[in-house]
Amino acid sequence: MDSSVMHRAVSLNIASATGQAGLTFVEIAGFVRKAEEAGIDMVVISDATDERSSSPFEATTLLAALATVTESIGLVASASTLAHQPYNLARRFASLDIISRGRIGWNATMRQNPRDAVNFSRPGGIAEDDFRRRAEEFIGIVQSLWRGWDADALLFDKDGGRYHDPEKMHLLDHKGEFFSVRGPLNVARSRQDTPVLVLSGLAEADLDFAARVADAILLDEQSPEVANVACDDLRRRARAAGRRPNAVKVLAAIPAGPELTFERLDDWLAPQGCDGLTFALPADLSAIDDFADRVLPELRRSGLARSAYGGATLRDHLGLGAGGAK
Amino acid sequence: MSTRQMKLGLFLWATGHHIAAWRHADAHVRAGIDIGHYIELARTAEVAKFDMVFCEDAAGLREADVQIASQTSRSIGFEPISLLSALAAQTERIGLVSTASTSYNEPYGLARAFASLDNLSGGRAGWNLVTSASPIEAANFGSTGLRPHADRYERAREFATVITGLWHRKASGHDGRSFSLRDPLDIPPSPQGAPVMVQAGASDDGKDLAARTADVVFSAAQAFEEAKAFYDDLKGRLEAYGRQPDDVKIMPGVSPIVAATKAEAQAKYEALQELIPDDVGVALLSSYLSISDLRRYPIDGPLPELPESEGMKSRQALVVEQARRDGLSIRELARYFAGARGHWRVVGTAKQIADELQARFEGGAADGFNVMPSWFPGELVAFATLVIPELQRRGLFRKDYEGRTLRDHLGLKRPF
Repeated sequence: MDSSVMHRAVSLNIASATGQAGLTFVEIAGFVRKAEEAGIDMVVISDATDERSSSPFEATTLLAALATVTESIGLVASASTLAHQPYNLARRFASLDIISRGRIGWNATMRQNPRDAVNFSRPGGIAEDDFRRRAEEFIGIVQSLWRGWDADALLFDKDGGRYHDPEKMHLLDHKGEFFSVRGPLNVARSRQDTPVLVLSGLAEADLDFAARVADAILLDEQSPEVANVACDDLRRRARAAGRRPNAVKVLAAIPAGPELTFERLDDWLAPQGCDGLTFALPADLSAIDDFADRVLPELRRSGLARSAYGGATLRDHLGLGAGGAK
Repeated sequence: MSTRQMKLGLFLWATGHHIAAWRHADAHVRAGIDIGHYIELARTAEVAKFDMVFCEDAAGLREADVQIASQTSRSIGFEPISLLSALAAQTERIGLVSTASTSYNEPYGLARAFASLDNLSGGRAGWNLVTSASPIEAANFGSTGLRPHADRYERAREFATVITGLWHRKASGHDGRSFSLRDPLDIPPSPQGAPVMVQAGASDDGKDLAARTADVVFSAAQAFEEAKAFYDDLKGRLEAYGRQPDDVKIMPGVSPIVAATKAEAQAKYEALQELIPDDVGVALLSSYLSISDLRRYPIDGPLPELPESEGMKSRQALVVEQARRDGLSIRELARYFAGARGHWRVVGTAKQIADELQARFEGGAADGFNVMPSWFPGELVAFATLVIPELQRRGLFRKDYEGRTLRDHLGLKRPF
């Protein structure tokens, strides 16, 4: 695959600085704007670890504020399927997508955070198999809710008294094993069609599901060789599910702390099987400053990050079709 | 300042509070999909020194009949927690209050979202607790039907206990009837300590919960006596919970229509009323009465006898009392209520509106008002540029912010 079309993401876990004061909004916003200047496709914000966070922010609310101080960069937040109801989560992200004018993604992790069950009224926990089936049902509901209003449903016809066309608003009427959701969402379709569905934390048992429904997949940190094999495998599964080769983007992950040397970067930037890279950063001011000052300029100099955004939406940046496209 | 001054909230609602607001020639018809519109409204309110902007919420459509819904602008809009988080980054001083339901959230998750909004805004967040009375919402959360009023309030009481425990850094762990959690909140407190607690329920259960936990109470009252009775009732309940009268600010809704002359204001009001389709007005009235079929009664006849519903008990009583008192037909009542959604409407000059507000404020019926402009941005701009300067001249409203947090604006103590 030609590295000139490789995608670049940054993941920032605002929760991971245990015991320290979390990053401030000014620090996070400054970093995201530098990533935007460097043409990074998207920043993925997470706010949870197995430990207690010290961050002053929750990811989806932070994303809304970031959307108002950036213009182009994609903004993705992690949100747990155990900590939300599908209707509320679909609505939060659809609203963020309107606020950002089509630059939002939801990172749904298939890995269960042990803190979720115990703080969200499931003291007995939830079995892995149940968690997986529930997460799959949850994600399907969210994607369907995002498609509840056709792109041309709003008429704004003041004289005729017709605000929207009722034929272009669709009930969901989902009744499943874990949820029943009537719909529709009360948020309009966004400029990028629907938020981008990003899946991460995949176990072997999640791979077919992810290849079938995800817009983008974030791999865990591993060697370039192992990542290439995983990318090929996911692409094969996506084809088997009837999707076009470009319908899902698979991004390998690389730790982006001070130990990231340009030699190590070269190993990753050589043409390989994945669609791009996610640079994983902790919530540490010196680490994000180092990345912004040292790595981002190098990516631009070597032509490995775009110098300008070609489109307006995150789907544009990632070269994706409409939500749910095969 | 030792003189007591009124608190003012701006109740944001897309195109405006009048049901036909979106059809007004100058209303911003794309309000529900334009964040720039909301940023402009919040900044206008901040320049005018409002204490806060406020968003209501429903996790579902407002109207079950899709033909009716399609004639209103209320079926789509922003989700309020994300909306206010965006506004936090685009404003400096004004409070940001959002509604969220205790029926369809978990306390740990809602505590995190509002604590984050509180930090993003430097201590300007508030949460308006509602229990959600709509069966349309219930159907989006797997419920087979709306839970009975008393059950919803039992859950709400437990929710309020848990979330204040988390925000006030008191409790660690909870194992109750509706909720269980293990950890303390993992988000540090904002400069105001904890989000401001707001409530609007006017039933007996609602008033007790407000007396126990709320810092601010939004209410709906048409006549002075009604407003005064509610005010005295709620303040009278505080002592039982070890609280002082001034610990809770009572802010009734008011929908003002202001112009240079009374006749001009009246003409503006009537022009808006003309834009309400009859079927929409009647459907809206049915929804406030929590019955689905007012349309099967003659539109020019009186309101029929109604059974008590599981929905908004207090609102229903208000509407029925109004109709009986004024001998209104269904059509007249529908139009009357569509205009201000059951809240108090004042039509007149800046001086006349200031007089009315002053009378309720000084007469012991209000600590301030939740202002509900008929349409945006016009009636907000009119209130901000005509009525607020008049209130300031009379010493009834601040000329500038004295503090930085919502608790500062409202004169509320830090919770810990």
